[in-house]
Amino acid sequence: MKIFGRRLFRPRSIWIRRVVQWFFFLLIALIAVNHTLVENGGGIPFLSTASLHALCPFGGVVTIYQYATVGTFVQKIHESAFILMILGFLLSILFGPVFCGWVCPLGTVQEWVAKLGHKIFKRKYNHFVPTKLDNVLRYLRYLVLAWVIYVTATSGTLIFGEYDPYFALFNFWTSEVAIGGVIILVVTLLLSLFVERPWCKYACPYGAVLGITNLFRVFQIRRVESTCKADGACSIMCPMNIPVDTVKTVRDHQCISCLECTSEAICPVAKTVLFNAGGIK
Amino acid sequence: MNLTSKPLAAIIFVILFGGIAITSTLGWWQTSSSKEAATFTEGEFAGQSNPADIRGSYTFGDIEKNLGIPPAVLAQAFNIQSNIPATFAVKGLEEIYSTSEFEIGATSVRLFVAFYKGLPFDLSTDIYLPESAAVLLKERTLTPERLAYLDSHTILGSAAATDTSEPVSAQGTESTSEVVPTQSAVTSEASTERLVKGKTSFQEILGWGVSQEIIEQVMGVPMPNPLTKVKDYCTEKGLSFETVKAALQVEVDKVK
Repeated sequence: MKIFGRRLFRPRSIWIRRVVQWFFFLLIALIAVNHTLVENGGGIPFLSTASLHALCPFGGVVTIYQYATVGTFVQKIHESAFILMILGFLLSILFGPVFCGWVCPLGTVQEWVAKLGHKIFKRKYNHFVPTKLDNVLRYLRYLVLAWVIYVTATSGTLIFGEYDPYFALFNFWTSEVAIGGVIILVVTLLLSLFVERPWCKYACPYGAVLGITNLFRVFQIRRVESTCKADGACSIMCPMNIPVDTVKTVRDHQCISCLECTSEAICPVAKTVLFNAGGIK
Repeated sequence: MNLTSKPLAAIIFVILFGGIAITSTLGWWQTSSSKEAATFTEGEFAGQSNPADIRGSYTFGDIEKNLGIPPAVLAQAFNIQSNIPATFAVKGLEEIYSTSEFEIGATSVRLFVAFYKGLPFDLSTDIYLPESAAVLLKERTLTPERLAYLDSHTILGSAAATDTSEPVSAQGTESTSEVVPTQSAVTSEASTERLVKGKTSFQEILGWGVSQEIIEQVMGVPMPNPLTKVKDYCTEKGLSFETVKAALQVEVDKVK
């Protein structure tokens, strides 16, 4: 709501999400550093020394085929990745891709760069890509997903590791990192100055998998039309450019359940954009 | 039922860390490969760990747990100068002995352990040991056959090419290329890319141009699902991995 061009309410943010994002970023960063330290005879006590591959739920996804056909995991993938995949699916079926919006450190880093982009480009930020082109590009991540699953299934090796920006982010100081991953990471961060979460929108194969749960998840983002002021704040705030103000229930495959569009955050009207399970009282 | 951000944050923590805690309790949460060597299934040594199953990712400490040889002995045998030899990964030997005329790596450790412990081992392929290892083994009781093999497979005057005051460890990992900055791999990428190792799958060998027919001819058994690792299949079929590995390597080299 605006009077004389000024908003009468103070836009709120889901601050607890930032805390959770920081937590997981620091946790993964510390474990990655600890992994390197242990290889050199040191290490941080009481902290996991797991490799990044062991802590990536997408590793579980790419190894499904080999596990089903041979009963073994793809090289470098362990049981932990499989378990995280199941937990990630459970969270997504219940709440949508909260792993993307709340946990994934690569998403977090893109959001940090996005803050700079917001400052530079103001309202034009995140609106550089023409809508028609953007709509097509959003399905690219399913092609990436299909390619990753195919090459992993046929080779039995973790070929995606050569291009994975998430792995590069937490291993750029080691000899394990692949130049392809570093290039994609740098490109992703540069693009984040113009587009919010470019990797998530256009290329992330794990986001593609979790995004499917938006079609049937238990808790949905719902807009109450009777109280909606149609000011478009929810759509403007959405990092994934979902037109929340035009739908009753958000079922867009790109929603990351960040809750920034809800009445708890940007929506100025109470109980208008809600995160709820329709059938559960 | 409405849900706000704070309960959602709590649920995320509960599901993720609760799931990890439960699976850890059940013994399902594993972030690295199992470091338990396969055991002999029959004969006099049934139930004992098989040195042939020692992998490059094993540390000297892992070998001690499986086969009871102190890390200090292994370090002495392979000229590893380290304050904490238990953390030294077997795969680190390839880099240390990169200038050696004959390969010294995981196979050498398997041979050393088998001789040291007096356990069965397939001697149909050529595996070499540094002189320091041979000296230690000769202090043990060896059969005439093993003694003769040792004499003809010792690299005299061999020494580690580099000082390893810092251990090359493999804790929490399982891949050679993942941890060790393989100098030799960088300098001779073409040759090491096509080496049949413990982690090599049939798919990789097919990809290198060796046909399924040749593979089956070499192994004498039908090829399983291509994603199966050669070593795992050898173990399953009771074949000597060292023998199969050498024979497959010959076929791989032919198509280079």
